[in-house]
Amino acid sequence: MSKYQDLKNTLSYIHSELNRVETMAGTLSSIERDHYNRLANFDHREILDIAVEEQIAARQLGTMKHMCLAMAEKIEEIKNAIDRGELVEGTHRDEAH
Amino acid sequence: MKPIEKFLRSIINEAVDKAIIRAIRGQYTESLYGMIPSTKKVGISNLMEIAMRGNQGTPISRPLGTPVHLSPWEKLLFNPVHLFRFPTQENVGIRTSITIGHRAKRPMTLSIPIMIAAMSFGGALNKSTKIALAKAATAVGTASNTGEAILHEERKSAQLLIGQYNRGGWINTPDQYKQLDAIEIQLGQGAQGSAPQRTSAKNIGEDFREVYGLREGEDALIHSRLPGINTKDDFIRLVRRLRDETGVPVGLKIAATHHLEKELQIAIEAEVDFVTLDGAEGGTHGGSPTLQDDVGLPTLFAITRATEYFTRKKVIHDINLIATGGLVTPGQMLKAIALGADGVYIGSAALMALVSEQMVEVPIVPPTRLVVYTTEQTDQLDEDMAAMNLVRYLNACVLEMEQVAVTLGKTALTDITKSDLCTMDPFLAKASGIQLGYVAPEHQGRFFDETKPFLQTYEEHLQ
Repeated sequence: MSKYQDLKNTLSYIHSELNRVETMAGTLSSIERDHYNRLANFDHREILDIAVEEQIAARQLGTMKHMCLAMAEKIEEIKNAIDRGELVEGTHRDEAH
Repeated sequence: MKPIEKFLRSIINEAVDKAIIRAIRGQYTESLYGMIPSTKKVGISNLMEIAMRGNQGTPISRPLGTPVHLSPWEKLLFNPVHLFRFPTQENVGIRTSITIGHRAKRPMTLSIPIMIAAMSFGGALNKSTKIALAKAATAVGTASNTGEAILHEERKSAQLLIGQYNRGGWINTPDQYKQLDAIEIQLGQGAQGSAPQRTSAKNIGEDFREVYGLREGEDALIHSRLPGINTKDDFIRLVRRLRDETGVPVGLKIAATHHLEKELQIAIEAEVDFVTLDGAEGGTHGGSPTLQDDVGLPTLFAITRATEYFTRKKVIHDINLIATGGLVTPGQMLKAIALGADGVYIGSAALMALVSEQMVEVPIVPPTRLVVYTTEQTDQLDEDMAAMNLVRYLNACVLEMEQVAVTLGKTALTDITKSDLCTMDPFLAKASGIQLGYVAPEHQGRFFDETKPFLQTYEEHLQ
């Protein structure tokens, strides 16, 4: 039983860290988007290319936020499966994520 | 300069005068003017293709797909909001990401809903173009599709690579398809249906042979059927095997047809993760005009019908729909998403963006000459410049989509739906379930009731 408790503790840790990463990605995404808005005001090809990269980075950070949410949801599912005593099947299905 | 101009003008004037007089006085059949009604009757493209057929005696090969566009995207308009629902504030980031294959062990999450369509190395494009496409896709966080054979350099450059389990059999072994991030079982395409295709050995270089595993002098042949798949159950078994062996999303790609729902039912039974629908406007590196112009269902209707069917069958959240075929503007791409597609593939537009700055460097010849495998200019593409052009293009497209999302009061591109559209075409409104822009939402039913007698008269007139 303690083996399952250890696993649950580990999952709780990953879940909380994923929530942090998600928050950080969201914050960084808005910073990058703000940088894009400022850089896009310059009429200079190289600066505009940097602005494009910033905008793309903002979107990718937004995607990371989205992925963190999806992974946190999966972890929640595994924890619920442990609580319901479906550990073997549940962990087997989800370990690939 | 003035005297030369004057001299030239007098010569042209005299020549035109003489031509007009000859045209008026001579027999119609002998007149040069006869070219104009003849050309107008058959069309310039048809005239040239008639001449090509007359000259070659074999099906002719037309690049980029059909010029006939039957998806009336211009008849759909987005509905901005002001008060009843407020537009999104400008400091709110619009979510652009999508996930393909929620049910797969390894779903594929993309930063933008636009992917690079399957355009094979050798069979269509040269190596630099394939690498530039992969690099650009990676830079913006999306996937590119390798087509029918995996190019080693492309795999290295692509963070997310989709590949086609195909009718030529070139990715159909585990050592090949296990390199992919998603597998698309390719049974057909918009520009060619399920017709067989052949690349003649004379157009196959050593690098092409190596990637495809062909012997010297052997043609590259794409069959009409997937080898070994002759029944519905064969297909279902294949999907399940690929899913169990790889864990990546496994999808089906077909040419959109009027039999769509029957095909989709089998895809549902096979539990595919996604369906790629290639509308009749789909591109190709070269295919016969008849297959391109006269075969298939237009992209717009394919999306609406597929979405409706998936909704009816309650699998709309399980199976992703990827739309492709003739999508060239961000507005068209976003309308496809609003109609129910999760993401879109672009092919021709991506290639045009790729060569945008370089097409002027090879004058007279079409820009596609820089990207097609078999051309004389095939080694002249600047790979990094091309990739950057495509990155800028994709960024601009998504920004334009985000602008629309803001004016619709949405915070994610995937939140845009049919209710954000109206149409100016009553038939389209009826067929797609999009409201008719002529009349207020509460009077839609009354409008159609009142116009029914006119439609009946029209039907009787047709009979």
